[in-house]
Amino acid sequence: MPAVQNAGCDGCTTQREANLVRLGLRPDRWDYLVALAGNPNTGKSTVFNALTGLRQHTGNWPGKTVVRAEGAFAHEDSRVKVVDLPGTYSLQATTDDEEVARDFILFGQPDVTLVVVDATRLERNLNLVLQVLAITDRVVVCLNLMDEARRHGVAVNPAALERELGVPVVPTVAREGRGIDEVMAAVHRVATGQFHPEPYRIARFDDAIEDAVSVLEPGIETAFPGLPNARWVALRLLNADQRVEQAVRTGEIGQLRPDAVAPVLEVSGVTGSGDASAVSEDVDLDEARAVLAEASRLRWTLPSDFHDSTVASIYAEATRIAERAGGGALTRARFTFDRTLDRWLTSRVTGFPLMLLILTAVFWITIAGANVPSGMLATLLIDTVHPILQGFGAAVGMPWWLSGFLFDGVYLATAWVVSVMLPPMAIFFPIFTLLEDFGYLPRVAFNLDHLFKKAGAHGKQALTMTMGFGCNAAGVVATRVIDSPRERLIAIITNNFSLCNGRWPTQILLATIFIGALAPPHLAGLVAAGAVVGVALLGIVFMFITSWGLSRTVLRGEASTFSLELPPYRPPRILQTLYTSLIDRTLIVLWRAVVFAVPAGAAIWLVGNVSLGGGTLAEHFVTWSTPFALLVGLNGVILLAYIVAIPANEIVIPTILMLTVLTAGMAGVGEGAGVMFELDSVADIGTVLQAGGWTLLTAVNVMLFSLLHNPCSTTIYTIYRETRSAKWTTVASLLPVAMGFTVTFLVTQLVRLTAGG
Amino acid sequence: MTDPLSALIGFAMLVAALLVLTWPRVGVVARMRRGRVASERVTMEDALKHLFKCEYAGQPWSVESLAGALEISRAQASETLARLQDRGLVRLDDGDHPLTDEGRSYALRIIRTHRLWERFLADRTGVEPADWHDRAERREHEFTPQAVEALAARLGHPRYDPHGDPIPTASGEMPERVGVALTSLGEGDEGLITHLEDEPEEIYQRLLELGLALHMPVRIRGVDPAGWVRFETDGRAVALDPMAARNVTVLRRPVAPDRMEGAESLSALRQGEEAEVLGIIPACQGTQRRRLLDLGVVPGTRVAAELGSAAGDPMAYRIRGALIALRAEQASWIRIQRVPVSSTPGDRGEAA
Repeated sequence: MPAVQNAGCDGCTTQREANLVRLGLRPDRWDYLVALAGNPNTGKSTVFNALTGLRQHTGNWPGKTVVRAEGAFAHEDSRVKVVDLPGTYSLQATTDDEEVARDFILFGQPDVTLVVVDATRLERNLNLVLQVLAITDRVVVCLNLMDEARRHGVAVNPAALERELGVPVVPTVAREGRGIDEVMAAVHRVATGQFHPEPYRIARFDDAIEDAVSVLEPGIETAFPGLPNARWVALRLLNADQRVEQAVRTGEIGQLRPDAVAPVLEVSGVTGSGDASAVSEDVDLDEARAVLAEASRLRWTLPSDFHDSTVASIYAEATRIAERAGGGALTRARFTFDRTLDRWLTSRVTGFPLMLLILTAVFWITIAGANVPSGMLATLLIDTVHPILQGFGAAVGMPWWLSGFLFDGVYLATAWVVSVMLPPMAIFFPIFTLLEDFGYLPRVAFNLDHLFKKAGAHGKQALTMTMGFGCNAAGVVATRVIDSPRERLIAIITNNFSLCNGRWPTQILLATIFIGALAPPHLAGLVAAGAVVGVALLGIVFMFITSWGLSRTVLRGEASTFSLELPPYRPPRILQTLYTSLIDRTLIVLWRAVVFAVPAGAAIWLVGNVSLGGGTLAEHFVTWSTPFALLVGLNGVILLAYIVAIPANEIVIPTILMLTVLTAGMAGVGEGAGVMFELDSVADIGTVLQAGGWTLLTAVNVMLFSLLHNPCSTTIYTIYRETRSAKWTTVASLLPVAMGFTVTFLVTQLVRLTAGG
Repeated sequence: MTDPLSALIGFAMLVAALLVLTWPRVGVVARMRRGRVASERVTMEDALKHLFKCEYAGQPWSVESLAGALEISRAQASETLARLQDRGLVRLDDGDHPLTDEGRSYALRIIRTHRLWERFLADRTGVEPADWHDRAERREHEFTPQAVEALAARLGHPRYDPHGDPIPTASGEMPERVGVALTSLGEGDEGLITHLEDEPEEIYQRLLELGLALHMPVRIRGVDPAGWVRFETDGRAVALDPMAARNVTVLRRPVAPDRMEGAESLSALRQGEEAEVLGIIPACQGTQRRRLLDLGVVPGTRVAAELGSAAGDPMAYRIRGALIALRAEQASWIRIQRVPVSSTPGDRGEAA
């Protein structure tokens, strides 16, 4: 096993590491670095997971809203680091995703770029492969979804494709783990130099472009001897690619020669030169500047459809290569099962009813299935462990304020969040992921796009909205599937209008106590359920109105494009889905919620226990805010509960109960100052609330305000991570509160007006 | 407790006040923003621009034309000219061409900023074409020379603005505009649109509504006695009044036959039908165009309308092996030629 680190060129390694850190990579040790590229929907993340076995870490690209995953695997004696690049159709660097992918392949100098290719859509995928091959020689093609290709009657010949492309081509079925070992072996061969790729490069563009390239190319080769991709650099200069121009001007591009940094084996013994900051001595910066000047002159000679004609040339090559490899484009779906299913699921007659049926089933399973485990968790964490902790505190002689702060505040809030949040998420997310894997969710977006288009939104917002009914933070993360900036922002800002599972219990409780009670007993349950569904539907109405308003006002200027690919149906893998959705979605969201619940618990306990001038903080705030609260039909207790419970909607009701008992001075109810509680009997809760001055109007307003208020802090944090913008995070946080106050104000005053008049 | 009626009235007044403040174009905030821009420097820069445009177009200028273009009084116009003279930007005794070299390069920089910003709005944002000019009129005064160069580099040093006007280079070179006014063509003449004048706004708006865009082919069918120009473009017949026709510049050259008659758009394709792509129409620009190209919508690509959604729009097309849903509006940008429904080569494996 040869060592792949290059001992002869410490400076070069440093330079490359500096580049990688700038690209956002953590500087840890590895023997070689693999960049994973590919079109969206090619199973790239499946390949990534198969390679790294979920030992991954996600982060953002610096300054961009593009998310990146990193992982590692061991092959023979080498430690291999894998960076998952954003899925893109091209590397023209016109979107953030494309720029990130292109910059990494060029400046990050991965030892191998592994391009995942969908065997059933070879032509379109080759468009990207050919662009990668123009930048770097060190490429391995992973020909994925071979099983699907066979099922659809596409017979791609990997050997023929390998001959055409000049780089290793490995057929895989990543979902079943088939071919992954061979991919690792091929990556190893290329990284260690046992295999010398001779990549196919497009030789012929339009005459005017070729003329310009042939003028520039010699100059670039003179300026940077040994550059492997002079032709590509020439094309990018003609495209006025700012990043490449800069790299030429500073001489940075000269550092990117394979001999400058590549892992060197004992056999080859070539070493690069130089130190990290200095430019290699054989780089001719004057010549580089001359090339730049020449390029800007030549740009005026190019035809106006320069970009179009370049893309057309690449596609012409892609078609030719695909035909030789036997993977010509399908002109229509060949799989009868798919077509029959599509005819049912997207038909004018059956499309919408089937969709409602499926989504209702998902919600019903979630709600019904979560009840029992939620109750069990509550019994365990709140009724059993909490007293034990209190007992422990007393036994070791903790001061009352310390045990109160830790166990009644911090612990109880966390326990509450976990017991309410975990079970529904653990059921909802896997089902949702299964539908996604199967290929049904894109069809939902397809069917509903017409409706969302009218509100200026993307059809895929239907999916992120539905996801929001489980958890808004997860819904916001899910907006990554929307690849148009304007529509994605709309989906992020309006996700909060989906009533998340932290708010369902509040709605159900209040509807049962105050609204169900209006109906005759045998209808009470139905009326209460109807009221809750009504609030959720109202949320959807607000989502549409807000989307419409945003797309026509503040977001008018954001760029917008639509595209929606409908993948073929794939048999879902149930166990794997359960596992990944539990890790990816449920646990990450739960962890964030717990992190935020801890300070909330502390704050709740403190406002109930810290006294200033003859009253607790809570009492002061309630007295002070009540005049305003009455204007919007709420009361000071509710406002305070919503402020301290920003981290988690789950603890609003327990906090309201605690504060009501505290401020109304009720004796014999509850657990004491600052200790949240809930009562076993719904009727008892009603009694406490009515003693706190609640009327039917208060309950209706709380239900409305629970729908229309700021997102919880987990969601706010997630919005910031996804948008990287303080401005949009503020809009997303404050807009719903403003709407909530407006709506509750109008409802209150109108009711009072009609009741009074 | 507050009386509900007065609370509601108070609320209505608050809402009304907010609307008056923030209403687009006529609200107080919008007016203030415009007012701030109309400073002395801005007036001078606009005056330089006017003088340069007259010089470039070979038209005479006068204090009246300046006052008219800037919507200021004659007295203010003279005062502005005097200020420009003080700074050595114009020489008023020099009759037809009052701009000094310094004044000309100043004017070119403002025009460069204006056209670059329009290019930016067209390529990188979703701002409507009708709003480009107004926004650029505001922004052109707000850029430092360095910021202009950074913008140019970011956009890839574009050569033309989205209306077809050449963008002056940083060193102040500006190529001559090519082509002639649509009104000077006769029956049977063919050409490509190279420029659409964006002022006055009403006429530009009408040109946009007729679906005209840069690089579109035209063939003149005739000019009627009243001066109306009838022509066909991208398979449609269009008529323009003489005023509007003067604002369209055309470069005379023969037009490929497939760009004219018989070309349909993809949106006309019914489920189950197939076609070959002829091209994407010029009106589709920026990110929208690049996305379609990246998906493989290039001349010669086979497409089949395969699946309609439950609402009819969007429609899913089989493009290069993938099933891609496009909205009707996007499909209308793609020109096609119908081909008979194929039974090869996708039939491989059908028997299996």
